[in-house]
Amino acid sequence: MKHKLPVLGMVCPFPLIEAQKAMESLNSGDELVIDFDCTQATESIPRWAAEAGHSITNYEQLGDASWTITIQKK
Amino acid sequence: MGQMIFTGLLCGALLGFVLQRGRFCLTGGFRDMYLAKDNRMFNALLIAIAIQSVGVFTLIQTGAIEFNAGQIPWISTIVGAYVFGIGIVLAGGCATGTWYRAGEGLIGSWIALAGYMLTSAMMKTGALVPFNDSLKKYAVTNNSIPDTFGISVWPFILLLVLIVLFVVVRQLRKPKVKIPSLPAKRKGLNHLLFEKRWHPFLTAILVGLIAILAWPLSEATGRNSGLGITTPTANLLQYLVTGDKTKYLNWGVFLVLGILLGSFIAAKGSREFRFRVPDAGTAVSSFIGGVLMGVGASLASGCTIGNGLVMTAMMTWQGWVALLFMILGTWTASYFIFVRPRVKAGKQQAVAYQTTTA
Repeated sequence: MKHKLPVLGMVCPFPLIEAQKAMESLNSGDELVIDFDCTQATESIPRWAAEAGHSITNYEQLGDASWTITIQKK
Repeated sequence: MGQMIFTGLLCGALLGFVLQRGRFCLTGGFRDMYLAKDNRMFNALLIAIAIQSVGVFTLIQTGAIEFNAGQIPWISTIVGAYVFGIGIVLAGGCATGTWYRAGEGLIGSWIALAGYMLTSAMMKTGALVPFNDSLKKYAVTNNSIPDTFGISVWPFILLLVLIVLFVVVRQLRKPKVKIPSLPAKRKGLNHLLFEKRWHPFLTAILVGLIAILAWPLSEATGRNSGLGITTPTANLLQYLVTGDKTKYLNWGVFLVLGILLGSFIAAKGSREFRFRVPDAGTAVSSFIGGVLMGVGASLASGCTIGNGLVMTAMMTWQGWVALLFMILGTWTASYFIFVRPRVKAGKQQAVAYQTTTA
């Protein structure tokens, strides 16, 4: 299942905190799609996902200061 | 005047560029020491301090620059640094962080900057001068750590370098997790400067080198210190409202303007610039954060850069004590903003569960 997390406009570290919170309620194999515009999260979200053992199925820059990342729960 | 504008803007632009591309956020770093038990950013700061310390004391030894540690008012340094630490969490970035995020187009950082500029000017030449002076009266002693022990500064620098080598080696030896990165779309220098992820330790080395460079550039224009953010930020507003060039316009003012410029260039070049508007809650907390930053940094005579990076490297009590208390301030604020709401939410869930099962 795919879930969308609305964190556009949030500043660091809230996108990461929201992502961690949302991840807890997902089932293994579910995907979380996070669209964000906070620059520092380009570093903190993938780092957290990798260290927690989740896999990243999509990660791209959509436009000026706008990114999307999809994390699959382990 | 021309030299002051040119070298100040240049040094600031280099710093702003490096901070933006390196995502060098000390507020986040101090916060994560507590929230994530992650010392990476703090270790990076130690690298920058050590490099600057070796470089600047070598310059002092050769007589190229002058430095006088002066005295430290303990109470105002401790109180100020703690308040500053709380402020930077609310503002979402320290003084420098706020300047460079303003260059990325974050309107929340412009709001924080306005509060910070206002209260730091009020503390230095405005309505809050009596308050600032009253706290600065107490417990004043010698500021230089080597002078307190009556020995040369070099054993302390050696000790710091050894500690830094130890933590860096330990960090680099940790098993590495591969961190996914964005697919590369650029090549060569363009990729290195505007796309590649910079290792925090590389960024720290560059910050240390820029901090050394700041000393001779600044002293050449008659301002005898290195990187500094708070006084220059106050000076900018003081100059704008009084028009007094001789008193308020100095190398530091161009340094902080340069940070904004360098960060803008870095963000624009890497497609990370966009005006972003915060919601009302974030806007208010940014302003309160900025206000606390200005008060705190003025009491402590420095921010994360002035005290945390520069006065630490100069082996002063002020630097290290302020660094400790600003970290404690960020931890206190992090507890109330990030940890406590989560614990509360967890408890409410447990209560809800009990009522449904009962």
